[in-house]
Amino acid sequence: MIAPSTSPQELGSRLLRIEENLQTAKRVLTTPYPVAQTPREVVWALNKAKLYRYTPVVPEEKRFPVPLLLVFALMNRPSILDLRPGNSYVEYMIHKGFDVYLLDWGIPGPEDKNLKFDDYVLEYMPRAIRKLKTVAGSDEFSLLGWCIGAILTTLYAALRPDDGLRNLILLTAPLDFSDKTCGAFIKWVDERYFNVDRILEVTGNMPGEMLDYGAKALKPVENYISNYLRLWDNLDDPKIVESWHAMNTWVNDLTPMAGGAFRQLIVELYQQNKLVRGEMRLRGERADLGNIRASVLNVVANEDHIVPPGETVGVMPLIGSKDKELIHIPGGHIGMMAGSGARKVTWPKIDAWLEPRSR
Amino acid sequence: MTQSQDTGPFDPFATWNSMRDSYLDVWSKTMIDMVNSDEYARATGMMLDNWLTASAPFRKVVESTMNQVLGQLNMPTRSDVVSLAERMTNIEMRLDDMDAKLDTLQRELRSAPAAGASRPSTRRSAAKEE
Repeated sequence: MIAPSTSPQELGSRLLRIEENLQTAKRVLTTPYPVAQTPREVVWALNKAKLYRYTPVVPEEKRFPVPLLLVFALMNRPSILDLRPGNSYVEYMIHKGFDVYLLDWGIPGPEDKNLKFDDYVLEYMPRAIRKLKTVAGSDEFSLLGWCIGAILTTLYAALRPDDGLRNLILLTAPLDFSDKTCGAFIKWVDERYFNVDRILEVTGNMPGEMLDYGAKALKPVENYISNYLRLWDNLDDPKIVESWHAMNTWVNDLTPMAGGAFRQLIVELYQQNKLVRGEMRLRGERADLGNIRASVLNVVANEDHIVPPGETVGVMPLIGSKDKELIHIPGGHIGMMAGSGARKVTWPKIDAWLEPRSR
Repeated sequence: MTQSQDTGPFDPFATWNSMRDSYLDVWSKTMIDMVNSDEYARATGMMLDNWLTASAPFRKVVESTMNQVLGQLNMPTRSDVVSLAERMTNIEMRLDDMDAKLDTLQRELRSAPAAGASRPSTRRSAAKEE
């Protein structure tokens, strides 16, 4: 039998360190990290939505003439795109010379429960883009949509192909729901088990807490246990603690999703797969992926458990653009863009694709 | 059994962490398989349905009582505030339409400086003739 060789002094110092670690853990778990620090100004607002322009850091003559508009999901906050200094996609792109804008959908209130994709795509986005063009002094622009933001940007590209959209970047885009065994979400929201109307009748909007549970329950042990153990194991490392703190702040900044849009997501997309079948209509207009003419970069995260690759890759043949590319990136749904490897892998790949198409 | 020279001293924390991680890996895989099953989807759907059914009468009572109380106190109800917020958004949209028109006007004024500059000189020369 092996006798423990840890000396009493060493054990004492370890206990002292545990005490210090508890203080760090308390701070990290009870205070928010100051996410979204890159300087920006509001250039347009409507209802809860705001269009931000990030302060350029590259002289105008060296900047790319085609501005980039970032569109995040309707659930969770877009601060994930500007998580913390040194690990911010926004910061990276403005240093590359892009004129970067962000469309923040805001937090819907009870009065927004009837907002649908129709409103976001055909009312809010065209207005925000009009303002972007005025401020940027450009008739052309690029769109980057992430998760449900990718649904919105795809619908926009299909319905308004002549509006100056030059480039469309889709990140982890849930668009093709033909495989009903692809991931857990699609099973949970199967019409046999999930009655979206009954929930929305009570809640109006889809509560952030329910959306959060849905995302975390896909990997319950990782999200509810291992995540916190990872923090505990690395409390001595300030870099890991800072990174964990920022991500935890973002993860727990819950937002509801407008009821009308959530119903469309579940019924028209997850259950009926209307977009891929060419039956999706917004305000009577049919959203035909074949109408998309902008250059398209479709980025898939190989280990994405929220939007499995199978929900994205199938749309490529349906997209009408001549210039279209599908790339696979190692990583998960969020980690691909905000994890430690994003700066070395994902961002340079997007930048290398976008730069020659933004001149 | 003895420890070899090149391995470090026995560390109970490291051993515990290793055991813990192995156990969590197994548990995680089991849980992922479970949440990916049709049975889990059916069970969560039923639980949600039961909760909605059970809480419906309570919610209705609270809602109607609250509306009555607010009405008695001459206070706006939730639906009044919602309706007001919707009207505000409609006004914002009209303002945005006006902003779009102003932007267009500004752009046109900027893009036609030569034509704008020639007009006053014509007026000045006409005034001199008078």
